[in-house]
Amino acid sequence: MILWRKMMRDMWGNLGSYLACLVLVVIGMVAFLAFAIASNNMAVSKDILYREQNFAEGFAELVAMPEHYVERVRRMDGVAQATGRLVRDVQVYDAEGAASVYLRLVSLDLQEHGRLNDVLLLKGEPLAARELKGWLDQRFFHANDLELGETIRIIAGGRVRELVVGGVGTSPEFVYPMRTEAEIYTDPQRFGIAFVPAQAMWQLFTDYDRAFNSLVFSLEPGADFERVKERLELELERFGVLEIYPRVDQTSHFVLTEEIEVINTMATFFPVIILMVAGFIIYIVLRRLVEQQRGQIGILKAFGYGKRQIMFHYLSYSLALAAVGGALGGLIGMWLANPLTDMLYEFFHLPPVYTGFSASALATSILICVGVLGFAGYHGCKAVLRLTPVEAMQPPAPPVGRRNLLEKFPLLARMLTVQGKMALRNISRSRSRTAFVFFGLMISCAMVAFTWALATEAMPKFMFYQYEQVETHDAKITLDGPRRRHSIHRELQGLPDVSLAEPMAEVPVKLSHRWRRENVLLIGLLPQARLYNILDVDGRRVIPGDDGLLLSQRLADNLAVGIGDTVELESLYLRDIYDKVEVDVVAIVPQYMGMNAYMGIAGLEELLGQEAFATSFLVEFVGGPGPERERVTALRELYRESDLLAGVDSRLEQLDLMVEYWEEAGWIIVLYVAIGVVFSFAIIYISSLVVLSERQRELASMRVLGMSSGEVFSVITFEQWLIGVVAVVAGAPLGRVILGAFAQSWSTDMYTMPAEMSAQSLLAGVAITFAAIWASQRFALRKIRRLSMVAVLKARE
Amino acid sequence: MASSILVGTGLKKRYRMGEVDVYALKGVDFTLYKQELVVVLGESGSGKTTLVNLLGGMDQATEGELMFGETAIHQCDEDELTEYRRNQVGFIFQFYNLMPNLTARENISLGAQIASDPLDVQDLLEQVGLADRADHFPSQLSGGEQQRVAIARALAKNPRLLLADEPTGALDLPTGRHILALLRRFRDEYSKAVVLITHNTNISQLADRIIYLKDGRIEWVHENDSPIAPEEVNW
Ligand SMILES: Nc1ncnc2c1ncn2[C@@H]1O[C@H](COP(=O)(O)OP(=O)(O)OP(=O)(O)O)[C@@H](O)[C@H]1O
Ligand SMILES: [Mg+2]
Repeated sequence: MILWRKMMRDMWGNLGSYLACLVLVVIGMVAFLAFAIASNNMAVSKDILYREQNFAEGFAELVAMPEHYVERVRRMDGVAQATGRLVRDVQVYDAEGAASVYLRLVSLDLQEHGRLNDVLLLKGEPLAARELKGWLDQRFFHANDLELGETIRIIAGGRVRELVVGGVGTSPEFVYPMRTEAEIYTDPQRFGIAFVPAQAMWQLFTDYDRAFNSLVFSLEPGADFERVKERLELELERFGVLEIYPRVDQTSHFVLTEEIEVINTMATFFPVIILMVAGFIIYIVLRRLVEQQRGQIGILKAFGYGKRQIMFHYLSYSLALAAVGGALGGLIGMWLANPLTDMLYEFFHLPPVYTGFSASALATSILICVGVLGFAGYHGCKAVLRLTPVEAMQPPAPPVGRRNLLEKFPLLARMLTVQGKMALRNISRSRSRTAFVFFGLMISCAMVAFTWALATEAMPKFMFYQYEQVETHDAKITLDGPRRRHSIHRELQGLPDVSLAEPMAEVPVKLSHRWRRENVLLIGLLPQARLYNILDVDGRRVIPGDDGLLLSQRLADNLAVGIGDTVELESLYLRDIYDKVEVDVVAIVPQYMGMNAYMGIAGLEELLGQEAFATSFLVEFVGGPGPERERVTALRELYRESDLLAGVDSRLEQLDLMVEYWEEAGWIIVLYVAIGVVFSFAIIYISSLVVLSERQRELASMRVLGMSSGEVFSVITFEQWLIGVVAVVAGAPLGRVILGAFAQSWSTDMYTMPAEMSAQSLLAGVAITFAAIWASQRFALRKIRRLSMVAVLKARE
Repeated sequence: MASSILVGTGLKKRYRMGEVDVYALKGVDFTLYKQELVVVLGESGSGKTTLVNLLGGMDQATEGELMFGETAIHQCDEDELTEYRRNQVGFIFQFYNLMPNLTARENISLGAQIASDPLDVQDLLEQVGLADRADHFPSQLSGGEQQRVAIARALAKNPRLLLADEPTGALDLPTGRHILALLRRFRDEYSKAVVLITHNTNISQLADRIIYLKDGRIEWVHENDSPIAPEEVNW
């Protein structure tokens, strides 16, 4: 058809805008398909693993429960299957002692059929009941370059034992193993899971002879978790039940689900934004085109082309882009989906599931594009429908609009140059383009400010506050349970390297206020503690007193309490474990990592009715940890064989982990800033192109009058700077709002993201947006230099 | 007497200009016969373009009747009007109005491709003497050449009537003559009825009939028994 040729040539003549639009559509669709397919692959893979390995639906942690009791739980109403395990964390004996490496031993009952949370053995051999041989989780195995048959020396029950690596496996429970919930990143080199026969475990931990401290269960179809939990709580009370929680609260499941969710969000969020911008571009471009080709539309009408036919002709500009962009994006997206999935599988070590070429996915992506661009295109060229043939042949009626800015402010008019006046008129004349540029710049400014604040303020504060501001010790010694503190304190204090040792009591408690309840760790500290500083919002020290609790902000919010309120406290550490005591809230403090309550250690002991005890000690060395943290290593060495100690951790090591994680995550921030920059650049560039072709004649006439291309261009730049200034004024606060929303959605009970934005970040947003405007104008200026006056003025419209 | 193809009676056209109504046509009776060449004369603003727009189905009369054979054009809806323009009418404008992004040949095909019984495009190109410029874009053609393409384009649909609104208005004498000769030749060879608007009295001598419009009414009609040849036109 002839009109197709017209379309191709029209598009070729304004290649920049259409290409920008096409690129956006392709990027949008690639993001959509790649993320959608990857998240689908992950979800399918997850479901398969969960089903095949009988992932439990409920988890109970208890002090100790005899093995035979599991059978009783199995017969309980609502419980389909139950499996008991002994779970113990041990330290790996490292000859160099450079870092603390932990293994979580999880017992396997080799006799049991239909075992819950079964291990999928990837390679290796079966285990034998009494042998200290185990299957390791994949991450740990690979991260430490282990081999089958190798032995790992672990410290269990105060002695060094040799654990033989019998195989490598994965379990639905530990797809993403974490040592504590409060960790945001677990280094697979330093923490792993080992599945060991129950018999062998009982030989290691003699306190637990034929006993379990963990119980997992699945529900009968239709059974209600809460009801089962209530019954179990009663049943297990005498075994010291610590916590019973459903699958949704299980750490690995939570992280994995969250991750799939995030990928899903990416699959919608990015494409929606990008397609919206593409739609807006095509809308602007078509609107302008229809205005410009008014005469041509008139001729087509005079020749007997129907309005729908003409409409379709203009609509086909956007539909062609949509079809090509959708197909191209769809194909590239599908092609990238599997590498992306691979990356995720590598991270999570899920059994791989892939999606091949899918015609329906391709069709979906084309359909979405056609839908969005078709809609935008329709609104761009619906003017065709309203235009009667006679009107189309006549020049457009002069806009009888509201008075423009110039007429409202005559003084302003006198101050401006001719270019300034033209720019102002353009702004009020083409409202939708002004809106496009305004919103585009506002959003990119907000995005840059947001990411900047996130990268330079919120994240560092979140990640480093705990290990730089709050904790200032050189090493933390964790005891294997609550111990009398005075003698150990004296012993540590007496070590030649140690300049200061402070006891710390970490007590699992249940706090409740009316119907709200929270299970948290209550930390008891010396009032004068120097190695663990509780700080208020302004960074001032808050002293943990003996007759009241300090709560983290999040905890106070969750319990809906304020200073002066009273909460009820229950704990297995209470002298009478069935007792409930009341405590006042005396202060609320910020806490970004973890969610704790604090108290003076003596007051805590009194509250619990216990003698002076501690669960860990913080120490400071004379002259710091020393090069290579040799003093920490020496301390570790010293207590290696003591069954009093569960581990020695170095704060700086923890900090290093954070830095490592931060460096790995850093590129995402760079990516966001880059997107913001590209965004503003594209918006300004496209708007320049549109203005250029719209006002070609006007601009060419100005050049004929003897103005330089720079002077001519200032009509466009003035307009853009004006909109730009207003846009950043709106964009900077928007960035703050986005940060607030982000922090809120990101924060969980474990992590709280601070949502502060300094003037510096706001300035960065403004500066980077302005830089993008400036840069894109340089590009557009090149185009104006090439503008041929003769050609423009000769062509009639 | 030759058979009529278009009969208009009491045609009125009112434009609303804000508060006041302006009558561009105030009651015009007009009949167009087969193979006739009618020139519509009149001063600027007398309603010439308005009349031709009504005849060509570009616009609807406010009052009056317009019959194309058995078809009541004044009662047509938008789609029927489009149909009418598509198959029966060929427009030629003062400023050629070619599609700038289509070559000469493509501009002509644009007319041909929607018609039910089109003429051969290559043939037409040769007839207007532009076979060698067929693949040039309008910007590469002179005004006269562009107008020749426009005429070929109007003709390509093989319509019953050709409506030309000041087709020579922007051209010099020899070029103008060439265009008029083409129009005449097509009238003769393809038996079209041609309505030609001009405010140039000299051109009117080439017509079979001259209608003089003044202030929205027909002032006088002149039957011209001895039309001159286009070569004799002067201005
Ligand atoms: N869309 C319109 N709205 C209002 N008035 C109109 C419109 N179109 C034409 N007119 C008025 O109708 C009258 C006739 O216009 P028309 O275009 O038919 O004149 P014309 O004879 O073709 O003039 P010219 O020789 O200058 O082309 C004029 O007074 C004109 O102002
Ligand atoms: Mg006219």
